[in-house]
Amino acid sequence: MKRRIYISGMHSGQSPCPGVGIARSIRKAFPELELVGVDHWQGSSGLHDASLDDVLLLPQWHQIDDERHADFLRSLLDDGNFWISSLDMEVRWLAEQFGTHPHLLAPGETALKRTEKPVVQALTETDLGFRVPDFISASLPDSEIHRFFRHSSWQCWLKSPFHDAKRVSSWGAFEKSRHAMAKSWKTSELFLQRNVFGNEESIAFSAYQGELLGAVHLEKRLMTPEGKTWAGRVTPVSPDLFSSFSEVIRSLDWSGGGEIEFVRDPDGNRWVIECNPRYPAWIFGGAIAGVNLPARLISKVLGLPLLETVSPFPFFTRVVQEIPAKEAVGLPLPPDPSSMVWLGDGKKGKGGPGVSLSLPTLRDSVGEQGEEDEALKPGAIEKLHPTFENEISTIANTFQGETPARIHLEKWNSLRFSTLAKNVERARSRQPEVRIGYSVKTSPTVDHLRRAKEHGFLAECISQKEVRRAMEFGFKPHEIILNGPGKFWPLTEAPVTGLHMLFCDSVEEFDRVVEIPGIAGALGFRMRLPKLHSRFGNSLESFEKFEGIVERVRKLGGAAELGFHFHMPSWAIGVDCWMEALQSLIVWCDTFERLTGVRVRHLDLGGGFFPTDLENLDLEAIQESVRNALPHVRAVYLEPGRSLTQDGEVMVSRVLDVRKDRSGKVSEIVVDACIAELPLVAAFTHRIFYRGNLLRQGKARVLGRICMEDDILSNGLALPEAVEVGDLMLFGDAGGYERTMSYEFGRG
Amino acid sequence: MSLDAANRILVPERSTLLREIFENEAHFTRWVEHPSSTILHHDQKCCEEAKLWFLSYARSMEIGSGTQYELKAPTWLSQLFKWGPSEWPIFWCQVVREKVIDCGVFAALAREVFKAQGHEPHPAQALLSYNETCTGHWQQYWDKRKEKKKRNDRDFFPWIGKQLVYHEICVLEMPDGTGKFYDSTWGHWYLPQSRIGFGALLAIRSECSRLLKWGDRTISCGEWIDL
Repeated sequence: MKRRIYISGMHSGQSPCPGVGIARSIRKAFPELELVGVDHWQGSSGLHDASLDDVLLLPQWHQIDDERHADFLRSLLDDGNFWISSLDMEVRWLAEQFGTHPHLLAPGETALKRTEKPVVQALTETDLGFRVPDFISASLPDSEIHRFFRHSSWQCWLKSPFHDAKRVSSWGAFEKSRHAMAKSWKTSELFLQRNVFGNEESIAFSAYQGELLGAVHLEKRLMTPEGKTWAGRVTPVSPDLFSSFSEVIRSLDWSGGGEIEFVRDPDGNRWVIECNPRYPAWIFGGAIAGVNLPARLISKVLGLPLLETVSPFPFFTRVVQEIPAKEAVGLPLPPDPSSMVWLGDGKKGKGGPGVSLSLPTLRDSVGEQGEEDEALKPGAIEKLHPTFENEISTIANTFQGETPARIHLEKWNSLRFSTLAKNVERARSRQPEVRIGYSVKTSPTVDHLRRAKEHGFLAECISQKEVRRAMEFGFKPHEIILNGPGKFWPLTEAPVTGLHMLFCDSVEEFDRVVEIPGIAGALGFRMRLPKLHSRFGNSLESFEKFEGIVERVRKLGGAAELGFHFHMPSWAIGVDCWMEALQSLIVWCDTFERLTGVRVRHLDLGGGFFPTDLENLDLEAIQESVRNALPHVRAVYLEPGRSLTQDGEVMVSRVLDVRKDRSGKVSEIVVDACIAELPLVAAFTHRIFYRGNLLRQGKARVLGRICMEDDILSNGLALPEAVEVGDLMLFGDAGGYERTMSYEFGRG
Repeated sequence: MSLDAANRILVPERSTLLREIFENEAHFTRWVEHPSSTILHHDQKCCEEAKLWFLSYARSMEIGSGTQYELKAPTWLSQLFKWGPSEWPIFWCQVVREKVIDCGVFAALAREVFKAQGHEPHPAQALLSYNETCTGHWQQYWDKRKEKKKRNDRDFFPWIGKQLVYHEICVLEMPDGTGKFYDSTWGHWYLPQSRIGFGALLAIRSECSRLLKWGDRTISCGEWIDL
C-alpha cells in the first residue's frame, strides 16, 4: 500500500490552521506523494483544497474515544504512514495520550513542557537573546492583579496556557475575559502578560528527532484585525542563530514543525510571545521564498531528495479565492436563522488589512459640518410638545439663582400623570382592569407622590421605609404593592401588613411571607423568564425550580389571591421583546393554573418604560391577550416611574469656560453641572437646551465641573458661537433616577 | 472506496453504490422497519408537570428570536440538552431531568414545540453516511454508556452502522403541500439535494399521512425514499 501523509488542521477561515499550507508545501516538492487532510469539522474549507488526495473527517473532539483514537493512529503509523499534527490541542493530546512514534511528526511531552507559556524556558534559558515580558497568574488575589495592571500601564494580554489571547486594558474587560476564557478552555491557569510594543516577527522551523532541518524568519508586513499574518518577507535565519537554535532543538528532541512568535521592540530586543508546537499557517510562504520546511521534514523521514530554489523576491501575500467544493466532503447545511439572532453585528468578514484606508471619499458623505454655525442649521431635530417647550423657554429666560439646580416642570409633570390616568380610565371599559402602581423608588418627591395619589394610582414600594414614606402621603396599606429582594428592610421594624399585593423573590421568601398573618390581599412570585437575563425573581430555567413554585402555589390555597409579576424594562430590552415576554408570562401563568387549580387573579407587568413608550402602549391588546388566556385575572398592573418623571425635571447649569479651536469655533465648554447631578448621562440621550432652544448633534464636547475623567456630559453637540461664560445651559431628562441616584460631590 | 473516488461517481452508478452500502449494514432491516421514537407519558402529575414546563419554557425561548415569523425552529434545544445516549423507553418526567438525550428525544421534543406553534409536525427518519472512524467512536460512546448503566443492547437502539447511521428528525407539513425536514439535534433544515459523502442524507422517510412535495420529489407516508 502507498504511504500516506496525514495532515490535521484544515480550517482555512479568518483564523486558519496550517494544514493547507503544509499540504501545498509538500505537494510543491513531491507531487507523487499521497496527502490526506484531517479535521473534526465538515466546515473546514481547507478540506476542499486541490493539494489533497483524500480527506479524513473525524467526530468532534468531545465525541472521540481516547483509547480508540490512539489505537487507530498507532495502526496508521505502524503501516508506514505519517501524521503531521497542526492543531495545538491535538499535539498536546498526542503527547499525553499517545506518546512518541517515529512516524508521528509532532513534539513530545518534554518538548512541550519546556516551551510552555509564559516562560518558554527552552528559549529564555539559552543565549538566543529572547526575553519574556512580565507576567502574573490570573488566579492570584485581585488586588495583586490590579497592581500588575497599574504597573503595566493597563496594557496587558490575558492568555490561556494553550491557545487564545485577549488584549485587556480595563478591569471590567479583564474580569469579563477571564471568566469567558476560563470557561472556554476549562482551566483556571490563565495568566496576564504585559504588552510589549514592537513589530511582530516569527521563526518557523522543521526538526526530526532533535535534528534541526531548517528555520526561516518572517517579518510580518500585513496583518488581519485578528492579528493573523496576511503578507510578509521570509528569509533563512542567520547561521549563528541556526547553530544556537540547533542545540535547543536537540535538547528538546523535537520532531515536526514549530514556530516561535516574538515582538521586536524599537531597540531591537526580542520578546517571546509563545512557541507553537506546529507549523504556522503561513508556512507555504516559506516554500515560495525557497525554504520549504514541511518538504524538508518529509525528505528527511522518507529519504527523498529535495530541490529548493531560492526566490530573489522572498515575499508572499494571501488572496481570497473561490474553489470548487468536493462532493465527498460536502458543506455544513445552513443553520436555522433563529440561531443567529444574537450573533454578528454585520462586521464579520468585512475586516482585513487597512480596509478603511482604501475607501474613496464621497462628496455627499462628508459635507464638513461646522462650515457654518451648525447650531443654527435647520433640519432634523426633535419636535417638542408645546407645553414642554414653553416651560423650558420660561426657565431659560427667567431663571436666576444658584446653579446647578434641578427644576421641576410643573405643567409637564401634570400632563404626564393626567395622560396616563386618562389612558387607564379609557381601558376601564374592558376587562381585566388596568391599574397603575407608581414606582416610589424612582422619584419619591412630594409632587410626584401627591400626583400619584390624586390620580388613584397605587404605590409600588421596595422596602419598609418606602412603604412608610407612601403612607405619609396618604396611601393606605391596601393601596401598596411590595416588591423587590429587600422588601422587609429594615428588619428592625415590624412589617406593614394588609398590603394590596406582595411578590416574593424566592421560594424561601415565600415560605416566610406566607406565615405572616394578613400580610397582603394577593401573594405571588416575581418570575425570571428563561432567556431574559436578570438577577431578580424566581428562575424558570430548570424543572426543579419550577416544581418548587408549583408546590408553593398549591400551598397558598385560599390564604391570599394569586398573582405573578415580571419586570423587564422595555427601554432596555426593546418594546417588541417586552410584548413577547408578556406573551410568554401568560403561558407560564396558564401552566401554573392548570397544574394547581389556583386561579391567577393579578398580573403585574412592572415598569421600566421610556416616557413615550408608556403613552403608546397598546393597553387594549394587553387586556385582550390576558383576558383570552387567563379569564380569571381581575387586574393587570403597570409600575411606571421613569416614564412619568424622567423628563419632568431639568438641570439648569451655567457655562464656566468656553474653549475654541484654531478657526475660532467652539470646541469644548465646561459647565457647573456634572455626573454627580446627572449620574446616568452616559446611559441614555439627554436633550440639552441653550436659550430655550434644543441643540442638535455636533462636534463640541460638554464637560462637567468635577475632576473625573468620565465627567463628560455630551460628546458631540452643536454649540452656537455666541456661547459665553455665565450663560445658562439646560439639561433635560434630569428627573427620575437622575434625581434619586444623584450624589453630593465636590461641594466642600 | 476513497472519498475522492466518490467525487467521480456518475449518476447511474450511485444507486449501485447506495445498494452496496445498504447491504453491507447489519442493522439495515431494523432501521428501515423501526418506527419513530415517542416520549411516553405516565398519565399522572409527574409527566403533566414536566410536559407543561417544557412547553412554557419553549415559549420563553422564542422571545427575541423572530417571533414575527411563522416558523420558529427550536434551535435552543441543543443548549438545553447535549447529544448522547438515551435509554428507551423514556417518559416526560425523565426527559426534563436529563442533560444528555439522543436524536429520537430531540425529534420528539421538537415536534411538540412545532405543534405548540400551530404547525403540523410529523416524525421522520433519515439514513446518513459517515466513515467508519466516526461510527466507531460513536459506537464506543454508546457502549460505554451501556456498561456504565449496566444495561444491555435491548435498552439502546442500534442506530450506528459501519458507514451509515440511522437518525431521527421531523418533517413539517406545510399548508402548500410541501414538506420541510428539520434536524432537531443539530438545528438545521435538510435540502433536497442528493450527494454522496460525509454526512450525506442518503434516504429519508416521513410519517406524515399526506403526500409531501420536497424539491422535485414526492414523499409518501412510511416509505423510505433514496436520494
